Amino acid sequence: MPSESSGVTPFILFELAGTTYAVETQVVQQMEMVEHITPVPNAPAFVDGVVFVRGQAVPVVNLRARFGFPRIVSDAKTRLMVVAYEGRTVGLLVDSAREFITLPAEAVKPPPEAVTGLSGKYLAGIATVGDRVVLVLEVHEVLNFQDLLSPTSVN
Amino acid sequence: MKNVLVVDDSATMRRMVMASLRSIEAVAFQEAANGLEAIERLAIGSVNLVILDLNMPDMHGMEVVAFVRKHASFHHVPIIVLTTRSDDDSRSAALAAGATLYLNKPFNPATLAAIARRLLFVDAN
Amino acid sequence: MPTDSPSTDDGSSAFSEFLADYYIECDEHLATARRSILAIEPQLQQSSIDRSLLDELFRSFHSLKGLSAMVGFNEAEELAHQLENFLSAVRKGHVRLEVPGLETLVSGIGTLEQVIAARRDGEAVPDPSALVSSVSLLLADYAENSNTTAPTASASHSPVSLGEKEKVIAEKLRAGAKAWQVTFEPSPELVSRGIDVNFVRNKLLTLGELVHSEPLIDVAGHIVFAFVLVSNDERAPHKLQAEGLVCEAFLPRTATEILQATAVAPAAGDSESSTHLTPPNLVRVDLSRLDDLMRIVGELVLSRARLEDSFRRLNGVMPGGEMRMLQETNSAIERQLRDLREGVMRVRMVSVREVFARMRFVVRDLVRELGTQATLRFSGEDTQIDKYVVERIMDPLLHLVRNAVSHGLEPSDERIAAGKSAVGHIDLRARTTGETVIIEVEDDGRGIDAEAVLAQARARGLVAPQPAKVSDPILDVLCLPGFSTREQADRASGRGVGMDVVRTVVEEMGGMFSMETKQGQGTRFLIQLPLTLAITDALIVQVADQRFAVPQVAVREVLHSDSDRLTLMEKNELLHYHGGVIPLFRLAELFGVDGAKNDSFYTLVIGEGAQAVGLVVDRVLGLREVVVRPLTDRLVKVPGVAGATELGDGKVVLILDVSKLFRVTRQQVNSANPIVTSLAGGTSSLISQNVGAK
Repeated sequence: MPSESSGVTPFILFELAGTTYAVETQVVQQMEMVEHITPVPNAPAFVDGVVFVRGQAVPVVNLRARFGFPRIVSDAKTRLMVVAYEGRTVGLLVDSAREFITLPAEAVKPPPEAVTGLSGKYLAGIATVGDRVVLVLEVHEVLNFQDLLSPTSVN
Repeated sequence: MKNVLVVDDSATMRRMVMASLRSIEAVAFQEAANGLEAIERLAIGSVNLVILDLNMPDMHGMEVVAFVRKHASFHHVPIIVLTTRSDDDSRSAALAAGATLYLNKPFNPATLAAIARRLLFVDAN
Repeated sequence: MPTDSPSTDDGSSAFSEFLADYYIECDEHLATARRSILAIEPQLQQSSIDRSLLDELFRSFHSLKGLSAMVGFNEAEELAHQLENFLSAVRKGHVRLEVPGLETLVSGIGTLEQVIAARRDGEAVPDPSALVSSVSLLLADYAENSNTTAPTASASHSPVSLGEKEKVIAEKLRAGAKAWQVTFEPSPELVSRGIDVNFVRNKLLTLGELVHSEPLIDVAGHIVFAFVLVSNDERAPHKLQAEGLVCEAFLPRTATEILQATAVAPAAGDSESSTHLTPPNLVRVDLSRLDDLMRIVGELVLSRARLEDSFRRLNGVMPGGEMRMLQETNSAIERQLRDLREGVMRVRMVSVREVFARMRFVVRDLVRELGTQATLRFSGEDTQIDKYVVERIMDPLLHLVRNAVSHGLEPSDERIAAGKSAVGHIDLRARTTGETVIIEVEDDGRGIDAEAVLAQARARGLVAPQPAKVSDPILDVLCLPGFSTREQADRASGRGVGMDVVRTVVEEMGGMFSMETKQGQGTRFLIQLPLTLAITDALIVQVADQRFAVPQVAVREVLHSDSDRLTLMEKNELLHYHGGVIPLFRLAELFGVDGAKNDSFYTLVIGEGAQAVGLVVDRVLGLREVVVRPLTDRLVKVPGVAGATELGDGKVVLILDVSKLFRVTRQQVNSANPIVTSLAGGTSSLISQNVGAK
């Protein structure tokens, strides 16, 4: 949800499995191209591993896996969006991310009831930008995983 | 430029004393954390005013006053001793040994500043 | 000149900007006061108490009073004033300090601490009037005395004259030391070079004992400082003269003269008093600045490692002579970095004395509350540990000590019936070995009844009902969250720190927590911690295509074996080891990494003796200094992984949590394989690795 009720809020747009998503700029610390992700054993399945960002070890959440889409091989367009949220720093791996837009508060509508299931939970709303439909991400839900089993202990 | 020597084993206390005298123009500060250091400062530099805590380890403030007054060149340096409410004995002894004035803690910084200004600029030759 | 308050119009103190400094200084004075009390306590039985200790304690209260008055903190000022009053009466000899008086002083310090902390934390300040009354009561009988004493300088302050110290000097001379009178004349030129009276005093302190210091006026009317130094260093006079100081032999007056002098002089307290040496020059440093320094050192370590990698690539391309020079420079830098790292670490180091001293107060309170008889003994109080560790280990240690007093020790009658001393003993020990610091809490109480513990755990549903194999796991049971014997009902022990938290804190710092107990004899808890938290030596190992870092301190031995040294027992692999066998666990399997089982492999032996297990990896790449970066996000907080590091190429290398891996594998061994356990047990006599050995 946009932070100001009467102003505009800047967003970053990213692509995931053919759909365009938006996330508030203010939570995005930086955008990186990712080279090597070190897997962390027994982490949740959607966590590809960790990388160093500015000297800090940051977990990498594969957003495709998180949303139930099939994984793809990373390429030159793949981006790691490092978000700082609720005191945590987490990286979100997306297919590509290039655009910055601003949206006024009224442009973001609540997600329609037809969008149910896991995906609906992660959306803060839906906006129309030109002729595109943009799904606005609810970062809190993406980063928390009560809906999944907790990581299993070693054996 | 007038030089004020602040003597107290507590760094915080020294800072508070110096802060109290912030309003006085043309004043430079020297600090000492014990009696020997204080005497050394007096010996090597020109000190126009000494603000001295009485209760210090190793060399009591009163000994410092007594020694300072023994030396001819320091007869006229004004010495303000800082005391607390239990220091009745030491206070009178310090005055007897040659301290110029005493000021009880806690003190109003404006009061210390007024006294210091008078000693530095009005009473000084 | 009247006292007027420093309050400004809005009621706050004019000196509120100094509150942060005030709190820091209060901490220092409170710590000094505690130290003085602890030093005074054993002297209560003696005919007189060391005067310098009383003076030091008096001054702590006096300073606290003055500072508190300045910042307008009335409760603290009043409290400190009362305590100072009491001490003043003791110093003047009006009151004899005995146990009730000491108790009052102890409570006073505690209350003062609470009052100050409450103000600092913005909470309601507790009312100190109860304590103030108890101090007044102690002084009540002597109120008349102190009023009638004529206010003389000597009553409140009496400098120990050189004459009184000469007896002390004479004794030291008899013991073979030499005494010197050192004279220093200060000058602006010397001071500008940093040679001032403090510098001289510190120099003398490094050479021996400074028995006396005094300002003098010489015949020329110059001010000089005279010191009397007692030293065993024969080169002392040469060293001092080299610094431009005048040094002559100091001869005390003859024995008879001294005796006559001391007979006449007023008794100024204990004539055996040692001159109280002032501590060396101290600098107050913010812990965060030290953290910054450590971080920079860490980055230097990484840079140098990257440089070394580059060198290797140059091999063959550069002429041999140049290569050698480069490598020598690299080695020099590596050495210097290590020194720098150790130097910065040393700045962060404080002795455990403060921590231990805190325990004394805890035990005293508990003993009074519970009526148990317990005495606390320390060893290794000068052991240095990182300040960060001190802060984190305080609560866990408090818990262990409280536990020992309230659960470990039996009541006196039981002890006597068992042939023990009536008073229970709790030993706190600290020592360093290599890169580890070891802290032990041991009691000679009743020991832990494993059956009772298990029964309790089963009754609470924390442990499965069937009989479990017992080798180490009693500590595991004790560390189950929610487990406690009588803790809820026992006000004394509960404080939000359970045994599980103790272990978590220790392991989060990269340490190990273990326990030994013998029923009827007592229990010993052992905490091992790495000396440095940020940089550690680690073995870099490889499993399939992944690298991991294993803290070297946890590895007893590295073995390179072929598969013919393996024995298969049911589903377990055992490795021949020092005449016996140890069970093996493949890191690949533990971590779900795909890997083939090679004919040739490496085993990291972790754990000791009968408990040892082997972790199998494909390759050992070497030993490196690594900078430890925490993995804090819950998405990647997994058991078995303690942190992350980087070896110069930017890729994350996970640091293994060896204690956790060890425990998990050990549990597997115990639960499934009685045969393996007994086999491994047979090697205990042959394996004698020392803790911390590299």
